Amino acid sequence: MLRFGSNPPNIREMSEDEVLLSRLELLIIMSKAYLEDCPLGKHRKEAVLRNAQRVAHVSPNWGSYGIQFRSNDESREEMDFGHVFHQRVQLLTLMTKSFVEEYPMGRLRKKALKDNVDRICQAVMFSGQMSGMKFLKVA
Amino acid sequence: MISNVKIAVVDDDQLIRDFLVDALMFCVNRDVLSFDSGSTAWDYLQAHEDVDIIFCDVDLPGINGLQLLAKTKKKFPNRKCIVMSGDPATEKSAEELGADTFLAKPFNLKDLFDIVQVFVVEGTRKPIKGRTKPQPSKR
Repeated sequence: MLRFGSNPPNIREMSEDEVLLSRLELLIIMSKAYLEDCPLGKHRKEAVLRNAQRVAHVSPNWGSYGIQFRSNDESREEMDFGHVFHQRVQLLTLMTKSFVEEYPMGRLRKKALKDNVDRICQAVMFSGQMSGMKFLKVA
Repeated sequence: MISNVKIAVVDDDQLIRDFLVDALMFCVNRDVLSFDSGSTAWDYLQAHEDVDIIFCDVDLPGINGLQLLAKTKKKFPNRKCIVMSGDPATEKSAEELGADTFLAKPFNLKDLFDIVQVFVVEGTRKPIKGRTKPQPSKR
């Protein structure tokens, strides 16, 4: 039997916050897959739209979730940073809906998407690595 | 690789169930079935031969995940069963009943991607014997 997930001392039920954070990470992977020209397809589009809707629907105060932000500006209030972060997440949900619904993207919009994804990854310490996900290149 | 893979997710926790469906649907670009109880899942599995991989939580109403695992492995030994749990005490039972993988909660996106890599990309519809750890991808 193979084994994945948490190790025995840490095994417990998942919290809503953990599921939300995983959804955000999934949205980042979805965006990166689009930027790397991975084929979308009908089911992937459906999954992207639903995931974006779920992430957008939740309006957490990220600062109060105890998420470890990484900021170079030590004087910035965590709550303000949380607000800006929340706006970036909302922007990401709109951006993903745009590429799924095939709005014209263009070089600058793709750059803006990449920049937003990178800033979110930096803030929440996601590596956002696409290694080990070659199956996303398959339609 | 398993082409046109059919995956089923069985979990009464809607947050986790919906997240798994979206993540897996994005990975494999195929529709993913979902059930909120062991009984409804078992009714479907008996009536349809097309399900390749089943993600089932242990804590389910009606038939619990371990009972579903036992029934599935007895009648459909080729189907891959991924057992999910937030209770470390269930791991041994899952292994004894023939689970292909134990996914301990909380798990993250990488765990799901690794499972897809093992069971979909590197998987076949034939039974795999004697496997105890993930095998590297062949080049």
